[in-house]
Amino acid sequence: MYETDVVVIGGGPAGLMASNAAAEAGASVLLIERFAHLGGQLIKQTHKFFGSEKQYASVRGIDIPLRIAKARELVGERVTIWTHATVLGLFEDGVITVDRDGKYCKVKPSRIIMATGASEKFLAFPNNDLPGIYGAGAVQTMMNVYGVRPGRRVLMVGAGNIGLIVSYQLLQAGVEVVAVVEGLPKIGGYAVHASKIRRAGVPILTSHTLLRADGIDGVKSAVIAQIDNCWQPIPGSSKSLSCDVICISVGLSPLAELLWQAECKMRYVPQLGGYVPLRNERLETSVPDIYVAGDVAGIEEASAAMVEGRLAGLEAAASLGLSTPTIDDERADLRQQLDELRAGPSGEKVRSGLAKAGIV
Amino acid sequence: MLTTTGVADNNLIQRCLPSPSRRALRPYPVIECFQKIPCNPCSTSCPFHAILPMDSIHDIPVLDFEKCTGCGACARVCPGLAIFIIDESRGDGTGSVTLPYEFCSLPQKGEIVSTMNRAGYVVGEGTVIRVSAGKTSGTPLVTLSVPIEQVHDVRFFCSKKDTDQLVSKDGAEINTDKFINSEGVDDEAMICRCEGITRREICELIAEGYTTVDEIKRISRAGMGPCQARTCGPLIADEIARMTGQPRDSILPSMHRPPVIAQPISFFTGGDEK
Repeated sequence: MYETDVVVIGGGPAGLMASNAAAEAGASVLLIERFAHLGGQLIKQTHKFFGSEKQYASVRGIDIPLRIAKARELVGERVTIWTHATVLGLFEDGVITVDRDGKYCKVKPSRIIMATGASEKFLAFPNNDLPGIYGAGAVQTMMNVYGVRPGRRVLMVGAGNIGLIVSYQLLQAGVEVVAVVEGLPKIGGYAVHASKIRRAGVPILTSHTLLRADGIDGVKSAVIAQIDNCWQPIPGSSKSLSCDVICISVGLSPLAELLWQAECKMRYVPQLGGYVPLRNERLETSVPDIYVAGDVAGIEEASAAMVEGRLAGLEAAASLGLSTPTIDDERADLRQQLDELRAGPSGEKVRSGLAKAGIV
Repeated sequence: MLTTTGVADNNLIQRCLPSPSRRALRPYPVIECFQKIPCNPCSTSCPFHAILPMDSIHDIPVLDFEKCTGCGACARVCPGLAIFIIDESRGDGTGSVTLPYEFCSLPQKGEIVSTMNRAGYVVGEGTVIRVSAGKTSGTPLVTLSVPIEQVHDVRFFCSKKDTDQLVSKDGAEINTDKFINSEGVDDEAMICRCEGITRREICELIAEGYTTVDEIKRISRAGMGPCQARTCGPLIADEIARMTGQPRDSILPSMHRPPVIAQPISFFTGGDEK
C-alpha cells in the first residue's frame, strides 16, 4: 500500500497547480494522471490564454504545463507522478485503487484532491452514430496531439468558446469549416474568438440547429435549420450542407464518478454543467478530507481551474498542519483572483451557478 | 451584430479611431475589443504605457493615442487577435494594415494577396510589405499595403488561388425540407453508442414505467459499455424529465461503483497486495 499526505487525481491545470501548492507547503504528494502526459486539456490549447499574468495570460495553453513543471523543480522530491494511471475506485476506509500501467495498486492518502475535469456532452439526432461525428475535444486530440486531420469539411455545432476555438484550429490545420451553428440567439463564446473565424470566411449561424446527419458509410452532409424561440425548426429554412465531419461542441459535464462513489453531496446546477459537489470555501466537499478543483467542481475556464487547484492544494496541506508563513495572504489573493475571473458579464453564468449550489 | 454574427458594425469601429490629425501623423492601433472579458495583457505590456491600467481585468482597453507610437507590441500579445495597426500617414494614396496571423505558411514579402473584411468577404488586393514572425510563442504580424480607403475594412487575407475556391463554396446547398418532420425519424437518434440503444427504445421503456436512469440501465444495458454512461447518462435523464414532467434536477444519474472503467477479472487477481 502506497501511503502519502495528499493524492491529486488528474494532471490537468487544476491538478498540476494543486500538486505544486501542497508540496510547497511541505506535504508529500502523489499526482495520478490517466494519460501518458501531464497537462490535461492544456496540451491541446494552441491559443493564448486570457485572464491576467497570474493565470498565464497571453501564454499559449500548450506552454503552460512546462511553466508549472518548472515551478515544481523547487519541490520535486515531494511530488511523485504516476502517469498512465487511472483511479478505479474510492472506498469507505479512504483507500484508492489504481490501474497503474496495467498493474492493480492501492493508495492510502490523508487527503484527496479531485481534479478529474469534465467530459463532453453529446446530442441525440438522427444518424448521430455515423463515422465522422466527433466531440470537439476528440477533434482537438486528433489534430493537436496526434497530428491527424479529422476530415476535409467540418460543420461545427455550438458557438461557445470551445466550438469557436476548435473551428479556428481546424482552419489552422487546413481544414475547411463550412459553418458554425448555434441554437441560442447569441454567440456564447468570446466575440474576439468569433470575429477571428468570421473574418476567415466561416459563417456563424445563431438560432440554428442541426436536424440530422446523412450518409451511408460516413457523414456526407448535414441538415440544419433556423429555429424559433421555442427551439422549433422554422418551415422552409432548412438546408443541407455538404460535410464529412460534424463536430459537436455543446458543453461539458463534470467528471464526478469518484465523488458519487465517495457519497459527496451533489447538486444539479445546469449553469455549471450538471451535478456538482457541494463544498465549503476551502474547496472541501461534504465528505471530510476530499477536496475539489477545476471543472469537476463546475465548468469554468482553465484560468479559474488553475487558481482553484492552487487553493485546494494549500488548503489540503494546511488541514494537515502544513502551511507557509504567507498562507493567509496567498489564500486571500487566490480568492480575489477567482472573484475577479468570475466578475463581469462573462462570469454571470458561473456566478449564478455557484449561488445555486450555495457556494459564494 | 457582433454577438450574432461575429462581425463588429461600423459604429463600434468608429469609436476606436483617434482624431483625424492623429490618424494622419503616424501609425495607430485599432483595438477591436468590445466585450467585457477577463483579459488584460495589452494594458500590462505596452512599453509606452499608452493603454491605460485597468481597475478590473474585465475593463475594455482605453488607449492614449498621444503616448502611442503604433509600435504593435499590443497586437502581438493580444490573446483575442483583436488589435490591428493602421497607417494612414504614408501620403502616397495607400495605407497599411498590420494584422495578427497564425497560419502556416507565412506569406512572402512582395506577395500579392486577396484581402478580406471582417465578414470574410474579399474586398480587393493587397501587397505584403512586412512579415514579422515574432518570438516562439508570439503572434506573427503581417503588414499589407492596401488602398487607403480600405484600411478600416481589411482584416484578413488569403492567397490568390484560395479565392477561387471561396466563390464556389455555397454551391452544395440544397433545400431538403422533405427530410424534416417525416414521422418517427427523430427517434432513431442513438442515445447509448456503446450498447447501440436508440431514443425510440429509451422512450418506449420510459412509457412502460421505467423512470430512473438505473432502471433503464438494468433493463436495456444503456450505460454499461466502455464509456460507463458518461455520454448517454445525461441524455437518458433528459428524456425521463421530458416524458414524466419531473424536474431535471431531481433525476439522479445511475449508481456509480468501482471500477470507473471496465477491467478484466484477471487484472484484479494479479494485484500487488493481499
